Amino acid sequence: MERIVGIDLGTTNSLVAVLEDGGPRVLVDPETGAHLLPSAVAFLADGEMVVGARARELAPDHPFETILSVKRFMGLGFEHVSDDDRRRYRFAEGREGVVRFAVGGRAVTPPEVSAHILRELKRWAERALGGTVAKAVITVPAYFNDSQRQATKDAGRLAGLEVLRLVNEPTAAALAYGLDRADEGTVAVYDLGGGTFDVSILKLRGGIFEVLATNGDTRLGGDDLDGRLAEVVLAELPPELAAQPSVRARARAAAERAKRDLSAAERTEVVLDLPEVGRHARAPITRSDFERLIRDIVQRTVVPCRQALKDAGIDPRDIREVVAVGGSTRVPLVRRLMAEIFGRPPLVDIDPDEVVALGAGIQAGILSGGRRDMLLLDVVPLSLGIETMGGVFTRLIDRNTTIPASVKETFTTAVDGQTVVDVHVLQGERELAADNRSLARFKIPIAPMPAGVPRLEVTFLVDANGILSVAASDLRTGLERSVEVKPSYGLTEDEMERMLEESIDHAEDDVRERQLREARVETDVILGATRQSLVAHGRLLAAGERERIDAAVSALDAARAGEDYVAIRDAIESLSQTTEPFARRIMDESLQEALGNRRLEEL
Amino acid sequence: MEGSQNEDRQCWRCGAGVGTGLVCPGCEAPQPPPDGDLFAVLGLPRRLAVDGEDLERRYHAASRALHPDRHQTAEPHARQLSERASAALNRAYRTLRDPVARGRYWLELHGNPLHRENKEIPPALATDVFETQEKLEELRTKATPALHDEVRHVHDALVARLVGLEAELSRLYAGANGNGMVDELKRRLSEIAYLRTLLGDIEAALGEVSGAHSRH
Repeated sequence: MERIVGIDLGTTNSLVAVLEDGGPRVLVDPETGAHLLPSAVAFLADGEMVVGARARELAPDHPFETILSVKRFMGLGFEHVSDDDRRRYRFAEGREGVVRFAVGGRAVTPPEVSAHILRELKRWAERALGGTVAKAVITVPAYFNDSQRQATKDAGRLAGLEVLRLVNEPTAAALAYGLDRADEGTVAVYDLGGGTFDVSILKLRGGIFEVLATNGDTRLGGDDLDGRLAEVVLAELPPELAAQPSVRARARAAAERAKRDLSAAERTEVVLDLPEVGRHARAPITRSDFERLIRDIVQRTVVPCRQALKDAGIDPRDIREVVAVGGSTRVPLVRRLMAEIFGRPPLVDIDPDEVVALGAGIQAGILSGGRRDMLLLDVVPLSLGIETMGGVFTRLIDRNTTIPASVKETFTTAVDGQTVVDVHVLQGERELAADNRSLARFKIPIAPMPAGVPRLEVTFLVDANGILSVAASDLRTGLERSVEVKPSYGLTEDEMERMLEESIDHAEDDVRERQLREARVETDVILGATRQSLVAHGRLLAAGERERIDAAVSALDAARAGEDYVAIRDAIESLSQTTEPFARRIMDESLQEALGNRRLEEL
Repeated sequence: MEGSQNEDRQCWRCGAGVGTGLVCPGCEAPQPPPDGDLFAVLGLPRRLAVDGEDLERRYHAASRALHPDRHQTAEPHARQLSERASAALNRAYRTLRDPVARGRYWLELHGNPLHRENKEIPPALATDVFETQEKLEELRTKATPALHDEVRHVHDALVARLVGLEAELSRLYAGANGNGMVDELKRRLSEIAYLRTLLGDIEAALGEVSGAHSRH
């Protein structure tokens, strides 16, 4: 049977899940067994590309070549890039439209970066399920606008996945929770992810999950908490050093660890080791210090929650349950705030890192016809409209309208002989067109006639993915009219075609190429570790052992220089076998140290 | 506009009679939305009084049959129809569940629409409107906590008034449903619409979230 997978394409981590008879299940990395794929892609100078945990490890040494939070850039244009973003990444400048990273001598768009993450998850799924996976449900923040959704769909296509549905993350989470509960009533989902914040109010009734309202902030998340904490340890360093991208990247990683500690502990330290410059910075911090540091960020989630409740016409007292989604909801301050807003403590019985992926897996099951008892009715998060005379924004579809949604408008011409009608579509809640997000311009051809005579009926349809399409017909002739779309911050159809052709041309090379790159990266890791052990624990070497290890190292070095990944793997294997007794001795010794005087047999 | 041709509609896929149904009773294929009005989409007579519970039941049942998620594995034409018909269904539900939107739509159907652009202050609200606007102007120039409280107070009083007007509207709907009530309906709907806008302005001035007075 053709399997449809559910994918949580997160800011920090991504996951893939499927629905099975017993319920949804997260699929794991076939090599390491990991559930989470870090959403990191590194583009190295020699054309090597690395995805996931290894890419994240490379970030401190390759801060500009490693894209860590690509989701923050999906569907954006150059003008939306902040100064802080410019300190973290290099961008290919001088072009309008979609933002492009300058990495490893190339310009790469966010959908291309995301496609690398999706391809890796596709590989995990194919290994776990033992067959080709070509169809997927992908989750997006509920507050993603049309451009951000389209960019996500493009990423799927580039990864060789047909994206059957984009599902809003909080809705997916509700689905995962609702699966084993026959409950009816109104629930709130509070989703503080790595880079985005969403809140949704849903009504559950007879298996129908009806979203009443949603709100959020697509540039607010756990990343911001890490950033604040990183500044604390960076303040311990001289400013020139603290400004270095690689130091900043390391400080963020250290801050992230300290943040996790503080969810359980009352105090910890942000520890930043910089051996290459001989510096070592540590900043002790208590939970209450941390809460003071981040209070204003966390507080920014309150207004979206109140607005969603109000739009839903729901009093907080009528909320039956509150669901916590996203790793950052582990922060005690965030939990207290949730309880304050909704008047009850949040539900946390499903791992907040996995709940969205599990919901995506269920939705994949619904689409394949496997679950006919459940149905999602979702909404469009932001009002859609067009620019009218004087730069005014005229709303056609209000926010929180259930999708699919459509509206028809009749247009005419302003001057004699006009042959094209230009429609500028925007999304947002502001009164002036210029204050809202431009989505696209649609050009519709029309037969030349005196001004005001043509009658063009334009249908705006928002599909179940929250993506807009436009169709036009000439009311005088009844003929359908073609619509030429120019996305404001997206890839044009031509660009997509070109990227797809490139990815198909290289599909076979890619598999071999990827195996080769992975083998080389693994080689570097094992060679580094071996050399380090030889220096640190040289005295544990047996007679002649050093020579045997050196020979295996040279053999691996030689294999790494070649193009045959199987040869590299063999050389890695033989080095591991050669160093195995040595490694065991190192382990035993450190164990003895840790246990003090107690003998192993006593345990 | 009332669809007399609906009775002999046939399923485009299997040819079974579908009447005003949204999906074919035989093969479950989605059908083009039936001709006629938004009441017809939900299988209701064209009446102002609507039972909210019944409306929701009909909407959920129709969604279960029609939603694109249910037709994902079908042919492209079926998927397209499911999208179009679901959009029509959603619009019907959104319009009919809100008494004010329903009233406006009813007036439109009877060739007597209430103009959206009508900014005239309903006479019954004139005093309140002027007083409120004066207070808001004051609040903009000097935002003292006392003044803030005062505006808050005005706001709460107007919300109570809105609730009252909406209750009256429901009573009006439950009664006679003839054309004689067009003028009264128009007057009441303008009052409610005006009051909703005014509340939105107050909330904006108080720096609060807004836009909630269109649903109950």
